Amino acid sequence: MADRLLSCSEALAEALAEEMERDDTVFIIGEDLRAHDGIFGQFKGLPDKYPERVIDTPISETCIVGAGLGAALTGMRPLVDLHFADFFTTAMDEIANQTAKIRYMFGGQAKIPLVIWAPDGGGLSAAAHHSQSLEAWFVHTPGLKVVVPSEPADVKGLIKTAIRDDDPVVFFQHKKLFAQKGPVPEGEYLIPLGKGDTKRKGRDITVITYSRMVYSCLEAAERLAEEGIEAEVIDLRTLKPFDFEIIAESVKKTYHALVVHEACLTGGFGAEIAARIGEELFDDLDAPVKRIGAKDVPIPFSPVLENFVLPQVGDIVKGAKHVLNRA
Amino acid sequence: MISITIPKLGLTMESAKLLRWNVASGEEVREGDPILVIETDKVTYEVPSPASGMIHPVAPEGKECEVEEVVGYIAMNREEYDRLAARYPAATPEEEPASAAPAHGAAPQSSPPPRGFRVKASPLARAMAEEHGLDLQRVQGTGPGGRIVRADILRALEGKAKEAARRIEGLNEPTDREMSESIPIRGVRKIIFDNMHRSLSQSAQLTLHTEAGAEALVALRERLSGDGRKVSFNAIFVKIAAMALRIHPKVNASVEEGSITVWKQIHIGLAMEANDALIVPVVRRPDAKTIGEIDREIAALILKLRENRLSPDDLANGTFTITNLGFSDIDHFTPIIRPPESAILGVGRIVKKPVVRADSVIPEQRVALSLTFDHRIIDGAPGARFLKTIKDMIEDPLLLIR
Repeated sequence: MADRLLSCSEALAEALAEEMERDDTVFIIGEDLRAHDGIFGQFKGLPDKYPERVIDTPISETCIVGAGLGAALTGMRPLVDLHFADFFTTAMDEIANQTAKIRYMFGGQAKIPLVIWAPDGGGLSAAAHHSQSLEAWFVHTPGLKVVVPSEPADVKGLIKTAIRDDDPVVFFQHKKLFAQKGPVPEGEYLIPLGKGDTKRKGRDITVITYSRMVYSCLEAAERLAEEGIEAEVIDLRTLKPFDFEIIAESVKKTYHALVVHEACLTGGFGAEIAARIGEELFDDLDAPVKRIGAKDVPIPFSPVLENFVLPQVGDIVKGAKHVLNRA
Repeated sequence: MISITIPKLGLTMESAKLLRWNVASGEEVREGDPILVIETDKVTYEVPSPASGMIHPVAPEGKECEVEEVVGYIAMNREEYDRLAARYPAATPEEEPASAAPAHGAAPQSSPPPRGFRVKASPLARAMAEEHGLDLQRVQGTGPGGRIVRADILRALEGKAKEAARRIEGLNEPTDREMSESIPIRGVRKIIFDNMHRSLSQSAQLTLHTEAGAEALVALRERLSGDGRKVSFNAIFVKIAAMALRIHPKVNASVEEGSITVWKQIHIGLAMEANDALIVPVVRRPDAKTIGEIDREIAALILKLRENRLSPDDLANGTFTITNLGFSDIDHFTPIIRPPESAILGVGRIVKKPVVRADSVIPEQRVALSLTFDHRIIDGAPGARFLKTIKDMIEDPLLLIR
């Protein structure tokens, strides 16, 4: 089947339409869904096609996630739209203490086929309350799966898998990527959770990243190539479970690793990757693993300051050269 | 604080050369750890640590030390170590004239940094160096802070490959011979050097060769090897030589100040190889011991040899020597007498050979024998009779109880 160019928004809407068609227990619940087809237009056409299955709620994330969890427990497959990932904070007990633990606490008697869909990330001058990258919190919560796609095809393939998964999945989509276009396969297209994707081949250094930083890293790789440095860019796509095999295979070839994410550096998922590489690939390392992440401050409103805080392409180029000891 | 002293290894020992320290100052050692290697004029010996603690060597490598001389200390704790280190300067190796002289025509090698210096290298570089047998001390690091990285290892390996290529090229050049190594003649090597030369220059040596059927010998060994452990052929040869010496006492003799001294006791040395040197531990009075006892004694001597624990007393006062080259498929050879002894028996391999019995050719285990003796004091005929006695005993070990 031919691939068309779709945006990440369109890829999501198409995948959801297919899943709602396929399984009538799938429904969407959240704020402002019917009036705007979702605030990023990400559910375009769905409220008209399935008026009963796209449900608007009052402004209470506690309530929305709780309702989604209850529905999942009774056999539905809800997708909760969190509006902004920043609002996770008000639903944290429902997610971390209930959603993540119920299956375990009841000895596996209950399934939680719940997807919590959350737009995250900065770069839009949306200030500290609407710009965060919080994936590390959920990776650090046993019982949850965490997805962080970058390109439209991955959005489609991964959201379909997430909806069909019987465990709760936290599905992040970067706000700056909604308009990002890319070829997307038509019809049934599934990507398993826990499989990374090599977005660019290279022999000199392995750059491990996900979400929006995939594009920054690809741009950095172009610039590095001009200086004769071939970077291999790996998009993890899923953080839990995560694909260490693809990293190991690459590092055994390049002997150098750089981890890049938009989330702040300290306690970020990059630390986990660096530690695993150190533990399992020690003898393959020719230099210490380097991490690049945002500075450890709230994301500023000022565009100038925001650019200063978030990792930029130039930082990645510099970081790669530092690992390779090239001035 | 415990002192480390040079042990007295034998009655005649007065001094030893401190060859090397196995440990660096400040290292933790346990009682019994081999910390130091010394060399007397007869043996090299690993000195065990007298206690557990932090070591502080003070005598330099290369120094000639007297017996009981204090060469280092063991501190019980860090404070004591710090006090010791402040009071006694750490050892630095004495100049070694032989290796300090640059070899003529040899490529200059960069001198390695002092021992105990930790080389900075990436894990990958370390793994690669290990795989290729490369000494990281000799690799120049170009990474951050001089760290050795993969590129440095690749460069070093390339250098090695070029060197190998140059070597092949060099083989085809009609240049003069060049020295690859200069090995000083000293220590144990000096002893062997002098003894062998003295042996051939000061006596009249003659070697007789014969061969013995070894079927009975092999069967005897099987009979004696009941409890799982195989008795060594050498133990049997030592016993046979001892019993043959009883029958031919004049072979058990030395020339001493113009007269022939015939020895009352029989002590048989067994030539062994260790650390590139010939060494001959002695089995005392094997004529009065069983083959099993001799075998256990030889095993104990071999163990001491391997652990560098042989004392000069283990090597002294032999009256006859056996040297066995069977392990290298040697049959006959011309052993050299160890002065002041007067005879030495060379034993070859035990192997099946065709022999003629009752006009037909049959396969039989055989062993080659080479007896060298000093013709100044042992004539050809008695020498030959002694060898014949040994041959007879090998072929019919019952004769041992004659």
